[in-house]
Amino acid sequence: MNMVVCVKRVPDTADSEVHIDASGKDIDKSRLSFGINECDNYAVEEAIQIKERLEGTVTVISLGNKESDEVIRMALAKGGDEAIRLEDDAFAGGDALAIAKALAAAIKGLEYDVVFTGALTDDDGFAAVPVALAELLGVPHATYVKKVEILEPGKKAKVGRELEGGLMEFLEIDMPCVLGIQTGINEPRYASFKGIKQAAKKEIALKSAADLGLEASDLGEAGSWAVLDSFTPPVVGEMAEILEGEPEETAAKLAAILKEKGLV
Amino acid sequence: MCAEELDFVEKYDLLGCIQCGRCTGGCPVALRTDLRVRCFMYDTLNEERLEEMSEKPEIWDCTTCYTCAARCPKGLEPLEVLIGLRSLQIEEGKVQPTVRDALESIFKDGNPWGSPRAKRLDWAADLEVKSLEPEAEETTDVLLFICCTDAYDPRVMKAAQALVKVLNAAGVDFGLIGEDESCCGSEVRRLGEEGLFEMCDEENVELLNSYNVNRIVAISPHCYNTLKKEYHGLKHQVLHYTELIAELLEDGKLELPNEIAKVVTYHDPCFLGKQNDIYDEPRYIITRIPGVEFREFDRCRERSLCCEGGGGKMWVESESKEERLAEVRVEDAKEIGAEIIAVACPFCLLTLEDATKVKGVDEEMRVMDILELLAEAL
Repeated sequence: MNMVVCVKRVPDTADSEVHIDASGKDIDKSRLSFGINECDNYAVEEAIQIKERLEGTVTVISLGNKESDEVIRMALAKGGDEAIRLEDDAFAGGDALAIAKALAAAIKGLEYDVVFTGALTDDDGFAAVPVALAELLGVPHATYVKKVEILEPGKKAKVGRELEGGLMEFLEIDMPCVLGIQTGINEPRYASFKGIKQAAKKEIALKSAADLGLEASDLGEAGSWAVLDSFTPPVVGEMAEILEGEPEETAAKLAAILKEKGLV
Repeated sequence: MCAEELDFVEKYDLLGCIQCGRCTGGCPVALRTDLRVRCFMYDTLNEERLEEMSEKPEIWDCTTCYTCAARCPKGLEPLEVLIGLRSLQIEEGKVQPTVRDALESIFKDGNPWGSPRAKRLDWAADLEVKSLEPEAEETTDVLLFICCTDAYDPRVMKAAQALVKVLNAAGVDFGLIGEDESCCGSEVRRLGEEGLFEMCDEENVELLNSYNVNRIVAISPHCYNTLKKEYHGLKHQVLHYTELIAELLEDGKLELPNEIAKVVTYHDPCFLGKQNDIYDEPRYIITRIPGVEFREFDRCRERSLCCEGGGGKMWVESESKEERLAEVRVEDAKEIGAEIIAVACPFCLLTLEDATKVKGVDEEMRVMDILELLAEAL
């Protein structure tokens, strides 16, 4: 089984204060820390576990600047074999489709049975890259994948998709295919510091837009269907009610409201 | 795994072990878990068994309190064998998710608590305290090294806030690193992540050496021990806060006018007592507070019972269902009639306070850092 995993380095905004920058089209990232996109971390683990069970190769691909090498090396330390990083100023401003075009161009030349991506990214959250990527590669796809069972290596897999209320939809899918992996599908392993340092010795192949044979019309805003207009902070609502008093008192008030509105 | 990593016999001087069993006999967690450290001293002699031994869950029960080493008649350090076995698991990536998350958080944000670096100084937002600049011309007397737990944990940060209050009252010239401060790596090393610890060592030594200060004062005994004994090339003197405050009291620079009329006992943190022989300073400070009636635990000083907070145990849940040592400690405190258990370590503060709640005595017994007592006595 030859597998490709697409990973993205994203800012960690979970516990941080997020501010819109002066351009109005981005957030101020100067005080944020970065790491691998959460779903992608599970995608890496899934590919490595399949490699350990069935043998094969795992190629890690990331679109981003030099700093993305950190998340690539982490994936290599966990068991990835080869790595490609797509870097070009012309990629800037691209939407999920433009990103998928670059990834597809890089993946087309590879021998692969499964391409893993995260189901969605923590930053843009379009959840569109796996779908667009599959379309561009001309292969089937499944999104929000929370279970993968390889029925016939290189030919057929059974995948479980996580739907609302924990419902799982199972489907059989032909390979090659693209699977958008959801968090919780496995327990990602730890990449030790020594392992990451050793992985730094592995070559990361750099590819520009020209190397990938992409035209200007495929890149950035020109290659996108959606163009970012602006960010606005959420409007503060007026419906908030602050309950005051001792814990026993506020708990009773809260319970009464929940009952009154039919929420419990 | 390479041969170098597997050379346990030489690295830990295993042939020096006479199998007397004093390590297991003194081991506090042997009271409640399957860990028998003497067996590991014997079984790891066989290189072929290392992988199997590293997969035993009890290697994660060790709190690295150092009792086994302190009591070993041959001067060996049995706990280090367990850390070595943990390293093998770390290299394989096989660790509990909580351990993984703590280590990744240190790599990414410089703290094990999954909190952003940008919030590292939030605890001091309302306090009068200066941030130090590297390579400053003017010398500052004291650089305060704030433990990650003091910086981010809402309970423990009260101790750090009290320290600032106390030092201001005593007129000490001190400053903080601020957002650039990173985890000391004490727990990193003890969880077996040698590579990440080397990074903590190198980066922190370079950062700390860049400040023009007379001395570094650590608030946590774990940071203190690491900075003082495990870093390479640190040029500043390192003190624990109890040493500085004892000095301030002795020199008459710190006055404690308010009375605290309570029965107070003191729990020796392993990393301050057993590992660094600091027993007298904390007792001197507590007994200088007016009104305090000081009573010792039966098991005190070198014999003090570990609270199970060290050795990375804040991120490892033991499989044992037996009573936690911190709960035993709280019962002991109740027996001697203590109203306050004073501590001098962020981990002891958390484990013992939790234990007072489990035991249902949190109404009548408080667990306080010595710093909080001092702030009340000011």
